[in-house]
Amino acid sequence: MEIELKLYGSSKILSDKDALKIELPNNSKIEKLRYILSKIISEKYSKSNLENLPKTAAFFSEKNEVVNDNYKLKDKETISIIPPIGGG
Amino acid sequence: MNLHVALVNIEESKSSLEKAKKFIASKKNGAESIFVGKVRNENDKKEVIAVTYDTHDEAVIKSFQSICNIAKDKFGKNAKIFLEHAKGYTLVGEISILIAVGTSHRDEAFKICRYILEEVKSQSPIWKKEHYTDGKEEWLPGHSLRPKKEIK
Repeated sequence: MEIELKLYGSSKILSDKDALKIELPNNSKIEKLRYILSKIISEKYSKSNLENLPKTAAFFSEKNEVVNDNYKLKDKETISIIPPIGGG
Repeated sequence: MNLHVALVNIEESKSSLEKAKKFIASKKNGAESIFVGKVRNENDKKEVIAVTYDTHDEAVIKSFQSICNIAKDKFGKNAKIFLEHAKGYTLVGEISILIAVGTSHRDEAFKICRYILEEVKSQSPIWKKEHYTDGKEEWLPGHSLRPKKEIK
């Protein structure tokens, strides 16, 4: 299955676009998404200071609510990655 | 209307102190507290020329409304509150966040203003990328919204 990951903050380093399409096995959870992101970062973005991102990021569902690691992703779902925040 | 919250796209508009003062003005006010956060020219011994604020717009507005409503419940139900935050490429000296609070008494005005500022920093999905005089740029570290019990 495929999900769309909307990028914010430092995660924008991962693409020139606002979102990234990510292939995942069917019935994957957020935990799996973190693992796939770790692989992408270590393979392609090892010099970008993003190595902690899969661990520290939160994820928002389409309802803009934080979802936990057991949240089951659906095919074609849009998820937002929320790196550590710091406005003001 | 006692509450105004917004993200201000810097390329189209600027936060205005006059607009904030006008919004909270009331003959019932015995106190008005205004906080103006600005982009400063130095951070961590690096010369800053600008900051880009990235935002998750819908979640930011939702968090602003929630924070302000909680602040009113905690400190002053009749408070008039104005809250704006910059979005986009913001030069040194420009306003990043503007909070204005009008209340009957000074204590609640101070408390609401401070509460909103701290909660925006810890809850609202806003990110900063600093741009330096040497041409480099960097996303700043921040506060994780991931549930603490999940972080090993």
